[in-house]
Order: sequence, then structure tokens, then C-alpha cells
Amino acid sequence: MMKKKSDSILGMAFFGPALVLLTIFLFLPMILTLIFSFTDFFALNPDLTHFVGLDNFLQIFKDDEFRKAFANTVCFVLIIVPLQGLGSLGLALLINRVAHCKKYFKVAFFLPVVMSLAVVSTLWVQIYSPEGILNSILGHLGISAQPFINSASQALPSIAVMSAWQGVGYQMIIFLGGLQAINPALYEAADMDHATPWQKFKDITLPELKPLCIFVFITITIGAFRMLVQPMVMTGGGPSHSTYTMVYDIYETGTVNWEIGLASTMAIVFAVFVMILTVIQTIATRDKEEKHADKKTKKK
Amino acid sequence: MRKLLTAIGAGLLLVSTLTGCQGKKPQPGEIDGYDQGEQYLSIWVHSIEDTEEGRCYRRSVEAFNKKYNGTYYADIEFIPRNDSGGGYSDKINASVMSGDLPDVLTVDGPNIAAYASNGIIQPLKELTEEEKSIYLESILEQGTYQGKLYALGAMESSVGLYYNKEILKEAGIEVPKAEQPWTHSEFLEVLEKVKPVVEKRNGYALDLTFPAGESTIYYYAPFFWANGGNLVDESGMQVDHILNSPENVDTIRYFKTILEQGYMSKVPVEHLFESGRAAFKFDGAWEVNTIYNSYPDIELGVAPYIVGDSWDGERYTPTGSWAYAASAKTENLEGATELVKWMSGVESGTMLWEEAKCFPSTYQAFESIDIFKTDENYRALYEQLSSYGHPRPKTPVYPQVSISFQQVLENCVLTGREPQAELEKAIERINAKLKRYRVNE
Repeated sequence: MMKKKSDSILGMAFFGPALVLLTIFLFLPMILTLIFSFTDFFALNPDLTHFVGLDNFLQIFKDDEFRKAFANTVCFVLIIVPLQGLGSLGLALLINRVAHCKKYFKVAFFLPVVMSLAVVSTLWVQIYSPEGILNSILGHLGISAQPFINSASQALPSIAVMSAWQGVGYQMIIFLGGLQAINPALYEAADMDHATPWQKFKDITLPELKPLCIFVFITITIGAFRMLVQPMVMTGGGPSHSTYTMVYDIYETGTVNWEIGLASTMAIVFAVFVMILTVIQTIATRDKEEKHADKKTKKK
Repeated sequence: MRKLLTAIGAGLLLVSTLTGCQGKKPQPGEIDGYDQGEQYLSIWVHSIEDTEEGRCYRRSVEAFNKKYNGTYYADIEFIPRNDSGGGYSDKINASVMSGDLPDVLTVDGPNIAAYASNGIIQPLKELTEEEKSIYLESILEQGTYQGKLYALGAMESSVGLYYNKEILKEAGIEVPKAEQPWTHSEFLEVLEKVKPVVEKRNGYALDLTFPAGESTIYYYAPFFWANGGNLVDESGMQVDHILNSPENVDTIRYFKTILEQGYMSKVPVEHLFESGRAAFKFDGAWEVNTIYNSYPDIELGVAPYIVGDSWDGERYTPTGSWAYAASAKTENLEGATELVKWMSGVESGTMLWEEAKCFPSTYQAFESIDIFKTDENYRALYEQLSSYGHPRPKTPVYPQVSISFQQVLENCVLTGREPQAELEKAIERINAKLKRYRVNE
């Protein structure tokens, strides 16, 4: 009994500091954000804060800019998730097959991940500029210069391509790990059955990587929803709000216009939306067998 | 038991670390130089200490402490501000909540109205006419809100209409005097003449863009002011029938014409002017130094800012920079005002020019710096500033005005939307922000 008690105190001693820090810097701000979302809290004059009920929620749903930011964010996610997810899987498969310079390729594709997003964004502003390297290459191919981030229709896809390039290495490493963990015996058995490469990929590689795929797609989705640095550095949310994202709107509302209450409401709506989406994604991608197992346990 | 004590110790250490950040007024003797009998004044500046600007602030404070030895002791704290304006302003916001504001703080010119109307800063102690007379009119104008002087800056800023002398000579164009700037229609004729010359150089007549951020309103609001328009009314509380005035619609159409005639590029081309491929460019006064040092091949000139056809000599050119103000929390307004006066005075301004090439804010500082007499470009910028400087809109909702202004220009000129409708939308957004202040009235 005594031993148990001292164990629990020791446990608390280790866990306590983390809990205090998490409470101060994570849970408390979360609770405060929730409370602020029902107020008209204004950073320059906190004394005049009132509870406004659901006013903020009604206001943001009526707000063109918020709706536009929401649509842009969803559009960005729809572009980047398949691009980065499939891109990383493709790269991992290719690198897994490469016999020479494997390390070189791994490092080369992983390098952008360790670079600061602000640095990468600045770099790509040059690449995308009207007289930048990309337009020079297009010029040599006989394609006229493209405005890229300076056009309302091309800016968001351009940023998505850049972001995928920046982030793809991380998921590639995860997939590579997954590929190496697949039991070679499975492939050997398939070889004996004269399976085609496509069959091997479809029936061995993909099912084996499935848990990783779910993880990768969910992390890309959440990361993509949080997009802020790229438009901030590259376009300032323009041209004509085409790259204005939800997080950017939250930032502008809270920091530039000092409206903490309204920004908190946006943050809450944003968080709930991402949460719902993640749950849907998890359920939709769950294994049939898992579902089956779930049912069984319920019956029992 | 020992483990428990260790755990409690660790907890206490953590709590003390986290709460240790709270500001507290030091006692005489605790800081080197702060002696018994002196009044303590804290001051926050928006800069990093280890920059030319930061070092100037430090030296100014040291000089203040020397001059007022025995009376005041000023203690400076550097709170860096990032490019998007965070950092420093976050600290101010947090301190407004916790009540930890210093005696004196720096405020960006366009934010003075918001800080004043929210009770973050208070009017300075009355200055004599003689004391006021040393400052440029634009500095006094910027620091005044609803008839009261809240802030004084050590530095001023300006934007020039720069031109490439070689290109203008080739096109056979003479630059007018400051009192007779090119009007909208005259400038279009000039651009037309310049066009063939710059096209040979694979460029554009005008290096002009509408970037997100503060530059757009800072550079191009003068086009609206000098064309009989305004962005907000005198009280800073009304935009209806002001922002959407026919004059403003006309000004936006003017920019549209510039684009449609091919005088400017629809997408920003980097270093267009600096590489000698554009005849004109609007940019901050720092551009002169950049051209002199990095692009010595460009023969640089400064032309007077463009005005509307009906302009009648009113003030209209860009100004504004960071200024010092007394916080509403200070109990020593007299001391805070002395510190504000000192920090924005002739000596500080001269030093800021010498170290960081920031324009000073006093006539005397300008007179004492040789380059404003000997260099025609700097002289032109100074004359423009002193004779025609106009502050940006003085309204507590300035950030929204600035954002909306940029969006309207971008949406109308570059994306081709209808000016009237875009201005109405901007008014709606600005009014939504003004609601808070109208309730308080």
C-alpha cells in the first residue's frame, strides 16, 4: 500500500510540472477562447467587455470575408491533401526502389521540411515572380509568362504546390518507414504466384500502409487548415482575397483590429469544423474488419 | 518524503518563474544611475536594442538621465516589433489588461487615435507655443487627436515620386516645381511621352503596385486628398458619403486608366525602377539612400507628388512615423511629458538621421544636417514634407481603413471591379468597426 502511494506521488512529481504548463499555456487559453467567443472583448479596452450571446457567431457567418476565407481554406485543403499525400507515397515508393544514392534522395526531399516556412515562402516569391526562374523555364518551352501568385485565379494553387513541395518530405519519410516494415515474405509469396507489380502494390503495399495513410492524410488536412505563413509572406492574402485563409482572418481580426472576442469566435468555429472533419475522415477510412470487430464486441 | 519535497520545490520554482515576469517599480539604488530623490520613468520602445535605431534610443535616454540627473531617471525597455506589427503591440495589449503600462511608450502614428480613444495614452502636459514651434507641422498634426496633443515623434517620414533623369531627358520632359505639381491629366501626358522610351528598355513608365500592408494607403492616399476627396471625416467617426464620394471614384478610375493605358505592370516586377526600366516610382524616403548606395548608375530625381486637376495648394503628401506618448497609467505626467519632449527633440532626431537615416521631426534638426541643403533630392523631400505633409486618417478604426483602402484599389484597378460598389463594401466594414465607438459616445 505504502509503495503504491509513494509511486503515485512520484508519478505526480514527474507529471505535475507538465500538467501545470499545459494548464497555463493550453487548457486555460482554450477555455478563455471559448468564453471570449461570446463576448465583444476588445484588446485596447478590456474594461468595456460585455457578453453578447451568439452575436459574434451570427456576425461571422454573415461576413463575406470570413466566408471567402473559409472557402479558400477548404479549396486549399482539397488541392494539397491529394497532392502531398499521393506525392509523398509516390516518392517513398520510388526511393524504396532506388539502389544507389538513397540517402542523397532522402536528404534532398527532406531538406525543405527543416527549412522555415517563411524562408521557403520568400524563396518561392522569387521563383514565381514574373521574371523568375519558373517563368524563364516556361519561356524556353514556348509558354507565355504566368502571373502565378499575382493572379486571383492562380495564387491559391501556386501556394498549394509550394506548400506540398515544402511538406512532402516529412510524409515521405513516414511512408518509407512503413514500406521497410512490410514483411518481405509477403512479396516473395506474391512472386511465387506470379503477381504483377500493380497487384503487389494493390494487395500488399497499400493494405499494409493503410494505418499510416490515415495518419498522413489527417495530419496533412489539419496542417493545411492552419495555413497562414505562406499567404502572409507571399501575397498578403491577395490578390482580391484569393489567398485569405481562416487563420489569416483570425489573426487580422484579433491582432490587427484588436477584436479578440470576434477572433475567438472564429477560432472556435474553425476548431469545431476541423474536429468534425477529422472524425469523419477517421470513420470513413476505418478498416472494414475493425468495424466488424467493433460490432462483435458490442454484441457481446 | 524527500521526493515529495523535491516535487513541491520544483512546483514552487516553476510558479515563481512564471510569475516572475510581472513588472514592478524598482527602488532607488536597485538600478545603476537611479538615485534617491529621482523620479522613476519607464519607457517602452518598439525596437531591438542592437540596431542603429535601438542604439539611438538608448543614447537618447542616457542623455536624458544625464541632463535631468537628480530629478528624473528614465529606464528604457526594448520590445521588438515584427514586420506584421505583432510583438510590441501584443505586449501593449497584454499590459492594458494587466495594468502594467509604462510611463512613456512609442505608438505608430496612425494608431494614436485608437490608443487615445481607448484611454491607453493621455494628452501631454500643455506645451508652450515656443516648445511646439520646433516641430514640423506634420508631427504636431499627427500627434493631435480631437484637439489635444497626445504624441510627439522623433522621426518623420516621406514618400517621393522618384524619376529617372536619363529617361525623362530622352523623352524631353521637364519636371515642374513643388508649387506646381503635375495634375492628373498632365501626368497622363507625361506617361504617354515616356512610354516609347521605357518600352525600348523592356519596362514601364511607372513602377507602381498596390501591396498588402501599410504601403498602399501611405503612398496613394495623397492621390485622393489632392483630388478633393477624403477617406474619413474630421472627427474620424464618419465614412459615409466621404469614402464613396464622386471624387474618390474618379481617383480610382484614374489609377485604372494608368493600368489600361499600359503605363504600369499588372503584376509587380521586381526592381523595375532600380534596374533602369521605369521612369517613375513611388517609394519611401529610404529609396534615395538605396539608389545612392546600391544603384549608382541611376540618375535619381524627386518630382512633386501628383495632384488632382482642381488642387489648390492644400497639404496632401505622405507623412507619419512612430511617436512617443504618455500612457494613461502614468502618475507623473509632467515627467512623462519632459521625457517625450526630450526623446522627440532636436538632439534625438539628429542622432536618428546620422545613425539610421530616419528623417528627423524638427526644423532645427533638418537645418543642422548638411545633406538636406546640399543634396537636391533630400532637399526636395524635406520641402515636400514641411510644406505639404498630411497625416494619414485620424480615426480609431485606422487598421480597417488601411486594409479596406488597399483592397478597394486592388479589387478595382487590378481585378476590374466597380469602384462605387467596392467603396460601399469598404464603408460597411469600417462602419462595423466604428459601431463600438459610436456606442461609447
